[in-house]
Amino acid sequence: MISSLANIDVAFKALAPRNADWASLLPEICVAGLALFCLVQAMALPKSLRWLIPTTARVGLALVMIMALQTGTAWNPAEATPFFAGLTKLTGDSAQGIRCTFLLSALLTSFLAGRFFKERPAPIADYHHVLLVVTAAFMLLAQSNHFVTLFVSLETAAVGLYVLVGYLRRSQASLEAGVKYLVAGGLSSALLLMGIVLVYGSLGAPGVDSLNFDQINAALTAGKGTALTMVGLALILGGAAFKLGAFPFHTWIPDVYQGAPTPTTALLGTASKAAGAFTLLLLVTGPFAPLAPKLAPLLAIAAILTLLVGNLAALATTDVKRVLALSGVSHAGFLLAAIAAVVISGANDGPMLLSIYLIAYAIGTFLVSQALIELPVAEDHQRPLLGLRGLLRRSPILASALGFGIGSLAGIPPSIGFFAKLLILIFLAKLHLWWVFGAALLSVAVSIHYYFAILREAVVRPTDDQDAVVPLEVSFTSRFLIGALSAATILGSLLAFRG
Amino acid sequence: MEHTTLAHHLLLAGLLFALGLTGVLVRRNLLVVYMCLELMLTAATLALVAFSRFNRTMDGAIFVFFIITVAAAEVAVGLALIVALYRRRGSVKSDELVTLRD
Repeated sequence: MISSLANIDVAFKALAPRNADWASLLPEICVAGLALFCLVQAMALPKSLRWLIPTTARVGLALVMIMALQTGTAWNPAEATPFFAGLTKLTGDSAQGIRCTFLLSALLTSFLAGRFFKERPAPIADYHHVLLVVTAAFMLLAQSNHFVTLFVSLETAAVGLYVLVGYLRRSQASLEAGVKYLVAGGLSSALLLMGIVLVYGSLGAPGVDSLNFDQINAALTAGKGTALTMVGLALILGGAAFKLGAFPFHTWIPDVYQGAPTPTTALLGTASKAAGAFTLLLLVTGPFAPLAPKLAPLLAIAAILTLLVGNLAALATTDVKRVLALSGVSHAGFLLAAIAAVVISGANDGPMLLSIYLIAYAIGTFLVSQALIELPVAEDHQRPLLGLRGLLRRSPILASALGFGIGSLAGIPPSIGFFAKLLILIFLAKLHLWWVFGAALLSVAVSIHYYFAILREAVVRPTDDQDAVVPLEVSFTSRFLIGALSAATILGSLLAFRG
Repeated sequence: MEHTTLAHHLLLAGLLFALGLTGVLVRRNLLVVYMCLELMLTAATLALVAFSRFNRTMDGAIFVFFIITVAAAEVAVGLALIVALYRRRGSVKSDELVTLRD
């Protein structure tokens, strides 16, 4: 009895986290600390100093981004090292790209929120708190190496996003979007959990931790997978595809994106989509890599359908936020195509490829969102294309933000969006995935049609409405952001071409 | 029938899960839909504990604590949203959610 207790003691000591474990998660810990600091400030500061809260959050996020770039190179990037007894795994070099995608999205969302909540009766401190918690959870999610880490961080992010979607408590649209997201998200996480349980159970044996990705990989390589494992795998991939917004799990996207406050819409379109893409990549190249030959055609078909469905639905839409939501579905198709190509080729630069695409997509989305937020509207969820008329005369800088953003989203040559799409298309052509290549090319052509319909309303179409020719005041912060992001769409592609 | 086997537990879990899924797809009252979602999570938890017991690995049993914690957080936020929606429009029928459309 005593000896077995001593054994347990030894076992616990072996599992206890080391300093290196904590150090590996330093950026995530800092973001979570920052989230708590927001609440402390909200309690401690007098009303006249509340403006400090978003500012500290932004400065903190920028500092963490610098830290993440530094640490990524300091650790041995060549091999992925497991931390916390196998609960997380730092994915080498790519951790930088992944972390920076999420941190950048959070930073830009914070700027959008700062502008958005100026005119609306909702507390900005709480918004920043939840935003930072969600960001930390996404960063952790992309490094998970164990289904407990994966499930807990995915759900932490999901619960935070329910709050951010339904944040405008007085707006029926925001609440309705929140409830729709809640039901769809709850359903997907229940299916995901059942999938995890089936994989765990069907591969489990005494002494095997069949929730750990490395051990699942080993068990599947040894041919221990059963029909139950395959059912579980299908459910798990469905859960990740829901986050990504891939066909057939994309039906929630238009309503939720339309009803959510615009900063949250931008966050959903960038960080949440990024989380889905990285999770899917992590799963199909990690624990389920031995099943790659079976998974690759499935992913390719899902990519083609997602590209087509997203674009066709976007063509028939007249609300700006819905167009952006549905075009986001076709961007998810691009990401799926990249993931399928990575699975087929076995290349290990997948995370970098996804990061470039996602950062390009994020810059475009935030430029368009910034232009939308500056436009005064009665209801945040009603932004018809017609409302953009005369934008060029009212505010040339907003029109140029819309132009640069849409140019990058549509993939017009000098922009970073073009470069990101080109990288994926080259990758697909190299692997002779012609069906996926064709669908991707077709979707670029179709997307130019509906993207430029937005731009045409803002720039070309005349307006008779007297309200629509009143010039718009744009604050210095917004001007600065628009300038920086527009420059980034061009400079980013120059940098990428040189690298 | 003296011993319950893994199959018995899984059958029960599968039934509960199917019941929950049917409820989510068929029912129109958001509160009932939400209860059905929780039923699905519970069914998965039951299967997890059964697997943990019969495979003789502790990891699943420990996972359950995390699931319960996460589900509690989700319920808190979910009920808050549903109550706020009810206050705003006086109904929680899912087919009356028609503000958002093209």
